[in-house]
Amino acid sequence: MKITSPIVSRRSLLRGSAAAAATSLAHAGRASAQDATAESAFEARIDLRLNVNGHQHALTVEPRVTLLDALRERMQLTGTKKGCNRGECGACTVLMDGRRVNSCLVLAASADGREITTIEGLADGDTPHPVQRAFAEADAFQCGFCTSGQIMSAVACIEEGHTGSPKEIREWMSGNLCRCSAYPQITAAVAAAAEELG
Amino acid sequence: MPRFPSRRAFLITGAALGGTALVAAVGGVGYLSTLDVDGLDGHVEGDLAHLNAFVILHEDGRVVVNVPKTEMGQGIHTGLAMLVAEELDIPWDDRISVVFPTEPHPAYSNWFNALQIRPEEATGPVVWIGRRVLGQLGFIATGASGSTMGMWHPMRVAGASARHMLVAAAAARLVVPEAELTTRDGAVLHEASGRRLPYGALAREAALLSPPDDPVLRNPADWQIAGRSQPRIDVPPKVRGTAVFGMDVVLPGMVYASIRHAPVFGASVARIVNEDEVRSEPGVTDVAIVGGRHVAVVAASWWQAEQAAWILDVEWTATEADGVSSGELNERLREGLDSEELHEHLVEGDIDSAFATEGARLVEAEYQVPFVTHACMEPINATVRIAEDGTAELWVPTQSPAFARRAVTRGAEWAGVSLGEVTCNVTLTGGGFGRRSDGDVVSEAIFLAARMQGRPVKLIWPREEDIGRGLYRSHAAARLRAALGPDGLPAGYDATVAAQSAMESIATRNLPFTPNPEGDALSLEGLDKPHYAIPDRRIRIAHVPSHMPIHFWRSNGYSFNTFFSESFVDECATAVGADPLDYRRAMLRDSPRHLAVLDRVAEMAGWGSPLGPGQGRGIAIEECYRSIVAQVAEVTVLPDGEVRVDQVFCALDAGLIINPDAVVAQMEGGIIYGIGTALMNALTIQDGAVQETNFHDFTMLRLANAPRIDVALVQSGELPCGVGEPGVVPAAAAVANAIFAATGRRLRSLPLANVETVGERRIRTILPAAAS
Repeated sequence: MKITSPIVSRRSLLRGSAAAAATSLAHAGRASAQDATAESAFEARIDLRLNVNGHQHALTVEPRVTLLDALRERMQLTGTKKGCNRGECGACTVLMDGRRVNSCLVLAASADGREITTIEGLADGDTPHPVQRAFAEADAFQCGFCTSGQIMSAVACIEEGHTGSPKEIREWMSGNLCRCSAYPQITAAVAAAAEELG
Repeated sequence: MPRFPSRRAFLITGAALGGTALVAAVGGVGYLSTLDVDGLDGHVEGDLAHLNAFVILHEDGRVVVNVPKTEMGQGIHTGLAMLVAEELDIPWDDRISVVFPTEPHPAYSNWFNALQIRPEEATGPVVWIGRRVLGQLGFIATGASGSTMGMWHPMRVAGASARHMLVAAAAARLVVPEAELTTRDGAVLHEASGRRLPYGALAREAALLSPPDDPVLRNPADWQIAGRSQPRIDVPPKVRGTAVFGMDVVLPGMVYASIRHAPVFGASVARIVNEDEVRSEPGVTDVAIVGGRHVAVVAASWWQAEQAAWILDVEWTATEADGVSSGELNERLREGLDSEELHEHLVEGDIDSAFATEGARLVEAEYQVPFVTHACMEPINATVRIAEDGTAELWVPTQSPAFARRAVTRGAEWAGVSLGEVTCNVTLTGGGFGRRSDGDVVSEAIFLAARMQGRPVKLIWPREEDIGRGLYRSHAAARLRAALGPDGLPAGYDATVAAQSAMESIATRNLPFTPNPEGDALSLEGLDKPHYAIPDRRIRIAHVPSHMPIHFWRSNGYSFNTFFSESFVDECATAVGADPLDYRRAMLRDSPRHLAVLDRVAEMAGWGSPLGPGQGRGIAIEECYRSIVAQVAEVTVLPDGEVRVDQVFCALDAGLIINPDAVVAQMEGGIIYGIGTALMNALTIQDGAVQETNFHDFTMLRLANAPRIDVALVQSGELPCGVGEPGVVPAAAAVANAIFAATGRRLRSLPLANVETVGERRIRTILPAAAS
């Protein structure tokens, strides 16, 4: 299945025509007829199976629901944060099939059948992921609201191999805003974790 | 709900008679020989032993520290718990947790912020009465860089008092003199007999004993936990994603709300054009006009509420501000500066003769800054449940439960309901910067909850409401004049600032009274430079009202006045061809504490050493929140006008330091906050409305363009000073002065840079691209 590009503007999707929504609907391929009186495709529901942190979640959602809202409000996975809702701040970063995406820009429908990893699924039981440990050891946050997104972004950044130098880390971690500006510590944490993960 | 007995009467008598806390200098740092702290009596409640208003013990030895300060990233829960652990003699480990107490106990009030004084310095009847009154009113708030300043002493006393009570309980249990007992690692030891009693086993007996009259406090020179960097107490939940911020609160049966405020502040709702259409959107359960002013949509999920709010079509009432633009507001500032009715804040010496002196060299300049906002990462939110019996419970990331409670009253008035007991749970907070002391979102949530028949409602503002319909730091303009004497230094200094009174605006929204807007203290901060040796000076202010709601904003007046005044000092130095560092040194000749900080930062930066092409260094210093902070910024201005801040050096004298890492982090965060604002941030008002909406047009520094930062902590023997805001304060002036050093261009208004397209690049430039 080809994914909808997460770069596409969420608003253009959400404000788009019913036809666009119908496309999502057809794409997901499992329209339910929950509301028999529905005249608009917006009032339709689709059934999804989201694989989040290794668990299968069956959801029935409106086609317009973003992955972020599905995570926070349908699965109560509130570790993923909403900061701007338009892909500017990165607080909602999760991994989709191992790649980092702004979950506010991804329709839940396009995550159907894909492997989603959120901050809650990163640790191995009680053992934190090396990036979590590095953020803890470097005190790489202040308020902590952006931290989930920073950590998820850092996991992917390391996997992508964009950690060759502090300059490269700074560049490739720039999609994640930190209003408290724990930037020096974040850079140090990503570098330390990258070294450990080799 | 726990109720603490009031402080024993003799202490009140004692305070009335004499006194006060005496400060003695021992080992280079002061400590206090008398306590004068409220809330030291204990009680037992269920399984919990409350040794006093701050320290709660479980039987298994876990320690809960009540910290009546909002954790918004500054690390205050960690810092204050460290002081308790130090005095209680427990290791810094996971047996310690921190909660924000829900009870408005007088011991939690920060009368010291309101009175601009440290508790240990409280003297005289006015302070004493003010303290009692504000304490009884439950004035609890986190701000003004005052948490450590105000709470460090009470937390030490609370820890020491609890330890003494545990020792006394052990002495009674073992039937031995207290003098034979010691404490270590959370237990009382009787070394002679080898017996060891863990605190948890003693807690319930200890809580019923009288607190000691004058517990001995550890000399900071002997500290084992405090005074050295410790891991933050909130690390594990924040890296695991389990920390619960206000926005993450989930309650059974909860509904969600989003909101739209009027584009022009002060407008009301004339009518909702398409209410039926909005109501028929999926999941929507309510569409409400909140307080006559705003429109909220309630739905089964926030996403549904926000989607429905997108299609709201609201007619707003006309206001006098409908045609107002940034240009007109700027013009009003200039009129303010020219006004004949200026409020005279300070006059020292003979300002007129200083400027009339023959041969005096006159320097004059005008400066300006725009409106800006806070842009906390966590959107503005509040969760409220009003039970059938009229009691209300809040979960809110607030900096001020006091203002939140006031906001509850207002929201209940809007809804026409009367409420019973109100419980305010202060959650973890995704940034504050002053913004979250306002009660706006609480009133709105109360209004909505009153319509929900007992169901909780979580109201979250979308980011667009925060940036474009929120609360702001005032814009401001200043006219600065100096008469330089024969030595080239200012003999006369005449500063006038025009800004909108923050206190009037804040009080109008949050308090039952409105102060006189003339002479607004928050708008004057940073203008009068008392540390500089200037014989004759005059400080004046014009209150320039507008329709914009003004609020506390990290460092308030300092954020603009220090940009004005420290840029202007450089202009004076330039006028006589002096080096900006030497010039400041001469003006600080009578201020050794300032000189030490200034010299330290100059040394760190290698002041005077050669720089590359296009580079420049700028320096600035300020005294604020009792701290002295100086910064040197190094910038590069490329030939096409692109400006980059490469490095910032910061020296800080914040007195006695509790948690050094946290203090350094506050400087780093403050510097990037200050520089980002100075370089990029301005809100544009058109047709009365703010035009910016989100992080794409109200931008902040990202990792790639954040400067390297080097912070040094200077020790002077002072008691703890404020650190939350000082990092912001000199940053704008240091960068502007560095740009001048690099280019010879004096930039007198913020933001310093414009985003422009040069070739294929979008860059921040200080020069028009065409001029490159």
